[in-house]
Amino acid sequence: MNYKILFVWVFLIVVLFVLFILDIFLGSVKIPFNEVIHILFTGNSDFTEFQTIIIHFRIPKALTALFAGFALSVSGLQMQTIFKNPLAGPYVLGISAGASLGVAILVLGISSFTVINQFGIIGNWLIVIAAWIGSGLILFLILAISMRVKDIMTILILGIMFGSATTSIVSILQYFSSESLLKAFIVWTMGSLGGVSQTQLYVLIPSVIIGLIMAFLSVKMLNAMLVGENYAKSMGLNIRLSRFFVFFSTSLLAGSITAFCGPIGFIGIAVPHIARMVFKTANHKILVPGSMLIGGSVLLLSDMISQLPGKESSLPINSITALVGIPVVIWIIIRKQKFSNLG
Amino acid sequence: MESSKKIVDIQNLEIGYPDSKNESNSLFKNINLAASEGELIAVIGKNGVGKSTLLRNIAGLQNSIQGDILLNNKEISTYQRSEFARLVSFVSTEIVNIQNLSVFDLVALGRFPHTNWFGKLETKDLKSVSKALEMVGMKSFANKNINEISDGERQRVMIARTLAQDTPVIVLDEPTAFLDLPNKYEIVHLLNNLSKNENKTILFSTHDLNIAIQEADKIWLMLDKSILEGAPEDLILNETFNHIFENSSLNFDKLKGDFRIKRKHNIKIGLTGDGIYYTWTKKALERLNFLVDKGNESIHFITLELINETCIWKYTNQNESIVFNTIYELSKYLKFQVKI
Repeated sequence: MNYKILFVWVFLIVVLFVLFILDIFLGSVKIPFNEVIHILFTGNSDFTEFQTIIIHFRIPKALTALFAGFALSVSGLQMQTIFKNPLAGPYVLGISAGASLGVAILVLGISSFTVINQFGIIGNWLIVIAAWIGSGLILFLILAISMRVKDIMTILILGIMFGSATTSIVSILQYFSSESLLKAFIVWTMGSLGGVSQTQLYVLIPSVIIGLIMAFLSVKMLNAMLVGENYAKSMGLNIRLSRFFVFFSTSLLAGSITAFCGPIGFIGIAVPHIARMVFKTANHKILVPGSMLIGGSVLLLSDMISQLPGKESSLPINSITALVGIPVVIWIIIRKQKFSNLG
Repeated sequence: MESSKKIVDIQNLEIGYPDSKNESNSLFKNINLAASEGELIAVIGKNGVGKSTLLRNIAGLQNSIQGDILLNNKEISTYQRSEFARLVSFVSTEIVNIQNLSVFDLVALGRFPHTNWFGKLETKDLKSVSKALEMVGMKSFANKNINEISDGERQRVMIARTLAQDTPVIVLDEPTAFLDLPNKYEIVHLLNNLSKNENKTILFSTHDLNIAIQEADKIWLMLDKSILEGAPEDLILNETFNHIFENSSLNFDKLKGDFRIKRKHNIKIGLTGDGIYYTWTKKALERLNFLVDKGNESIHFITLELINETCIWKYTNQNESIVFNTIYELSKYLKFQVKI
């Protein structure tokens, strides 16, 4: 490995670390930096309210941003390679549409949602479970199809069709629901990193880690798929099994994040392109960890931007990621011109 | 002398379109062919006759309707996926053009069936990749991106990938399709060298018959209903090539080993002279649909005269005699003055 690349890795890791600390430091309540560092390393503080804020709110939120960044970027990279499409992202299989259907049925369909909401954490868990079931069902359909259908474009189109169908059902549910329920649903679709509790992290982080391990295990398959299915097959790759494996990993990554945080757009599309530009390679052995590090940083940064108003409530994260992600995509299109070729 | 080992043996093969179940999708029946170790075999035939389908069947990318393809005396469908990938490698017609993919990484993909789950390149893999690049003369291109090199160079890299895959059999679907003339010759010559020096069995389809005749050990000639095989010279001598384009306006020239247009010759013209000027003047006159007679017994004739190493063309008929300095001027005059 040459020194320039080594420097890039060290730089990315340092940036990620700094952003992680900064994300914990910044918030509506001003906490002195010394105090933040002290709590981070000892877990204690003379000011109990600072301790509570850091331990119960800011660290879970920063961890959520970190892992959401990892998960969405890596799953976006996987989808871009599998579909040989630079505009593919983690939601191309209809995962977010499935999740929103699950949540819509729970929030809008079951009118006793307000009752559920009074249970607080339980209500929160119900949304997660509904989203997971929704995206899981869509995933199951896509996986079943991917084992039978040969043509990857057919799978892509079916994914988009399932997505559109579920979106229509969601619209119908919205039409018949009351204003307050509608608002609860819309807030979910805006995405939130702050709503994930400490206990939920015990589910979210292991799910993402398993998905990431699968992504690292799929590096060789993804590299082979880059040159097209004919070549991949002629080199001994089991196309259907590999697709199944990668889809499973993507669903675990994107599905879990969407269930806990709502749909978060553009990170999954933009970050793999940034990684390709930084490392100037198409090799997934570098792109998977590269996208992970950059994705984590970008989402931590987006989270900090969302808190700029300095009020108690932060801006919807989905809007921030779109505003951060879209210029990147446009910049790449203009700079590279040949956007149609992956990378 | 012991003859070389038969490595590919095709028996009563019927091929057709993918997933075909009914007879109408059958493309070709009763294929019986063989390829031996170290042979370069060119697959020749009209567009749509089934060259690609045959090659894809041999490369294990498509299933046959019936019959057997034996590889080392074993039906290819009975091989394990990874085992088969160590025996047959493939280069397709599609152009691989991926940004940021280096030549080295692309060739290293050829090590796929030899590496572990993570695709880690061990010392022997790295050696194999750089040897493959050296064999195709692309070693200095290792760090370039695949979309920064020319079509001819890219085709060499794709061949290097099959060499890194280290298979005794290499199948290429129209490797010369997008190349300019020198590259066409060079690529096929490279394949010939690899078959001789590395003892590879190389099967490739092509439309460049004259190149195939010069380089291939054997030609599989796909006609409408039958496939003939033999050394190119054998096929020339027994007039087989004339069957390829039977109903077209082409004739196979046995001496030149190439096709030419069947012409309707209307007017006789005499031509005297010799050497290279004679040959090319004759070609030009034939292009203008003259029937060329050696000598000056026709009503009109052309005489070649060499003066100080340069040639002049003298046209003579009953009335006049005109001198031209180039074939172009001559042919322009003949076109308009002589009713062809």
